[in-house]
Amino acid sequence: MIYKTNEAKEIRLFSKGWLKDLKLKEAAAAKLEKLKATDFKQKAAEAAEKIKNLDAKKVARDFIYGKPHEERRLGDLYVPGTGLYKHREWRGVKDTMYYFNMIWLYNYAHMVTDIMKYGGPVTALKGALRYRWMGQCYLTVMHWFDRGLEGTRGEALRASAWHYRGMVNESIRQFMRMFSADKRLNGGEANELWKNTISHDETVSGNIFYGWRDRMDDVALQMIPYFVTCHVNNHTVLNYIDAAQSIGLPGDPCPMCQAEAGIFVLNDVPDYSPVVVTSNEACDGSVGTSILQDWFLDRPLYAMPQPMRYDDPLVQKHCQEEIEGCWRFIEEQTGQKMNWDEYVKHAEAFNKLTEFEHEKWDIAANTDYYPITGVAQALYRIYYSQDGDRDIWHFVDKKVKRIIEKCVTQKINSFPKTRHRVIAWSCAPLYYSHWCTWAYNCWGLNCIINMDSLMFDQMLRTDTYEHALEDLTWFNEKAPMRAMAVGGHEHIFQLWQFMERFNCDMVMMYDQLACKGMQGVHGMFEDEFRKRNIHAIWMPHALPDKRTVSRREIRQIVNDYMFTVMHEEPLDPTLLDFDDNDSW
Amino acid sequence: MRDLIHIIEFEDLLQEAGNDLVRQAKEEGKRALGYTCNFMPEVLLDIPGCFSVRLRAPRSTSPDIATYYMTNRTCMYGRCLLERAMEGGFNFLDAEMATETCTVTCRFQEHLQRMDVIQNPDFFCEFTDVPFKKNENSVDHYTRQLQAHVLDKLHEHFGIDVSDEALLKAIGEHNELCRLIREIGEYRKLDNPTITGREFQIIQLVTQVCPKYLIMDKLRDIAEQLKTREPDEKPSWRCKVVLAGSEEDDPDFTKLIEECGALVVADRHCYGSLPGREDIVVKEGETPLYAIARHYLENSQCPRFMEQHVMRDRKAYLANVAKEYKADGIVIAQMKFCEYWSYERTIDTVVLNRDYGIPVCSIEKEYVNNAVGQLRTRFQAFVESIELKKLAQEQKASGGEA
Repeated sequence: MIYKTNEAKEIRLFSKGWLKDLKLKEAAAAKLEKLKATDFKQKAAEAAEKIKNLDAKKVARDFIYGKPHEERRLGDLYVPGTGLYKHREWRGVKDTMYYFNMIWLYNYAHMVTDIMKYGGPVTALKGALRYRWMGQCYLTVMHWFDRGLEGTRGEALRASAWHYRGMVNESIRQFMRMFSADKRLNGGEANELWKNTISHDETVSGNIFYGWRDRMDDVALQMIPYFVTCHVNNHTVLNYIDAAQSIGLPGDPCPMCQAEAGIFVLNDVPDYSPVVVTSNEACDGSVGTSILQDWFLDRPLYAMPQPMRYDDPLVQKHCQEEIEGCWRFIEEQTGQKMNWDEYVKHAEAFNKLTEFEHEKWDIAANTDYYPITGVAQALYRIYYSQDGDRDIWHFVDKKVKRIIEKCVTQKINSFPKTRHRVIAWSCAPLYYSHWCTWAYNCWGLNCIINMDSLMFDQMLRTDTYEHALEDLTWFNEKAPMRAMAVGGHEHIFQLWQFMERFNCDMVMMYDQLACKGMQGVHGMFEDEFRKRNIHAIWMPHALPDKRTVSRREIRQIVNDYMFTVMHEEPLDPTLLDFDDNDSW
Repeated sequence: MRDLIHIIEFEDLLQEAGNDLVRQAKEEGKRALGYTCNFMPEVLLDIPGCFSVRLRAPRSTSPDIATYYMTNRTCMYGRCLLERAMEGGFNFLDAEMATETCTVTCRFQEHLQRMDVIQNPDFFCEFTDVPFKKNENSVDHYTRQLQAHVLDKLHEHFGIDVSDEALLKAIGEHNELCRLIREIGEYRKLDNPTITGREFQIIQLVTQVCPKYLIMDKLRDIAEQLKTREPDEKPSWRCKVVLAGSEEDDPDFTKLIEECGALVVADRHCYGSLPGREDIVVKEGETPLYAIARHYLENSQCPRFMEQHVMRDRKAYLANVAKEYKADGIVIAQMKFCEYWSYERTIDTVVLNRDYGIPVCSIEKEYVNNAVGQLRTRFQAFVESIELKKLAQEQKASGGEA
């Protein structure tokens, strides 16, 4: 069977002898042989014995409410060597039904209706066939949910799942906008959507473009093709890293920047905008990436760098003028004037999101009733704060607020097996952002907050233009991976204050092996941990690149620390070691 | 060629950061101000009462303690500096005028701030924010930063006169030094240059790490001698190259390239003279400080700049340097773990060859250059490829077959 892509490339989907290659006859014969050799009588006797010994009450309890944490044996659910599930876990009647209806079915249905809503199946299909990341990630979405929600029950299951729903919806909206405006998918023509879309580096906040959201849209270049795909299917990004290195880039620069460059090398970003806005966030590698972006995109580009010594009062004016320069650039290039009222509307709406974020932090810090998993907290926070004000975030926050209120008023502890309250510091492994779920299930390590959640912590005043600009400047200076990592060592060592504020007794210290900024303070952290007698687990990783340190190796490092230093026993020993290298 | 006057003495001065001239200036009561990056204008640190020292860690071996602090996955230049500081090699410094212009040197300087590394009671370390663009907004910003974090601090800590008059005097002396370096560097443009790349690099480095007022006479002697210096009748080189790239303060590396037959005729790297040794011009209506800020932003070719036209012009600049200095190729050397130059080198390697027809030898190296054997092979092969290319062109021109 021959298939033709948009670029008229021919792909042979099946070879002639593919049916033969499956060796169905041999497989059927082997199965038959196995059946013949089975002693069914003995099997039946064993089963009867088992039933006889069962505690009916306990069975009923487990069926209705799900097994107690220590008896779940979640590791047994994995198909050996794959990291895929044999079946989803039984969480008790209510939670399993909720998972099936309100998470699995609800989200699958919305993944279809969202496509219909934002551009239709034809556009989505064209995109899936043209862009590798789309083709590889769409159907793996529910496994992303499964990984992040493993072992959760009750309110934690519900609240965390709503976060995922928000991210999926906004991802679909963004890539559908990309596809609808894409010149490549529209016969090489620049349509109206192309003319009315602003593309920007994913580290440039969506807040910058509020003034055009009534007529235009802004979509980050790499947010979906690179960042989201890392979480959903961690195999996809490897190709882009290799592509960047194939043109001569060394292996040691930050693999995030490499991957961001790689999608341009492979021409795997839709051509959806006449302009591009770049930034120096978060590091030297980001600056380097923009050189490559310019080379490949070859269209009007505005660089909007943030100052490095950002809490120096003297730098603010400079930064404000750069933001205004960006606004002028968009006006000149697109002929569309910035709408101040529109800016105010979105900035004020975004403040509502920030207000709720503060409430969440407060509950996480001071009570045991915070119902959101570490991974849901981390991903949702970075996702919405980078994207800026959108309806879906308000919808999700409303749902989550109701759940949190219930937890607080009814004193529901969603993570009752917490042994240690953990703060995660520095940049997280994107291919294993759900380590928090595993760490709680296996060891009772409850990740309360992470460094990147604490970024963008700035209310946006709108009473005057000057105040608005001042706050927007601060907002952007405190962007993810940068607020703590640049501008002086005092920022990165705020860890101690946040540990205290969030009542944490342990640090999961992300050790991004290619992050020069964090490697450059490694020894000082070691000294401080010893001096302050703080338990810190160094978690080595290479951001999106699972080949450097695998998920399994990460788990082994945590296991070793928990056994040898903490002298603790796992809550669920089946999760200590399993091979999920081939998993999404 | 006959030995260049003072070159042996200059070589000796490069053997340690706190060299004889640094000690002499300190004994004369001047303040030693360290810096690592070209974005800290040395002219500001050379105002009366002070002298600038661009930090190097010559004769480094294995930076073990610094590797504990910064791991072995960071640029070795930064680590060697930290190691040298911990060994006491920078105790002569009265201040470190720091910039957050690349991550690892920034972290090195933060170690000086946070840990009690420099054993000098007067020592302080102050950071300046450096913009990523060359526009007017950036020049204004940079001017404010230099005023607050360099001049005000020097006055506050050491009572240094930072008036416009003092700055103008420093600019005058700086321009005189630049004029001499440019004069010396001009001999590299000859068909048969009368100065080697290594000799020039030694001279250039000495101007960066020694009190300038103590070497001016020696530079004049060198410039004088070069007027009559005769090249070897039969050149020892087989082709001429530009050395471009990141931090490079090791004359032995240039020597290695030249031993392979490639004469280094131009230096466009962090410690090079192109750009860096142009006159600072104070235009009408400008303050001296503003002129300095504008000069350092306008002239820099650092890959840190992000404006679209600047990113593109950098390639043309490098191609023009190669043309002006009659170079046959470009060696782009990047310090391992330097993120800026990882990307810049990758693109230069493609663009300079494809768009300008200039052969490029693209390498990655460590600060302590232990990979001499491998690099020698690379350079020899590069020289041979240039020779073959020339041969082919000659044959083509004479109607023969390539």
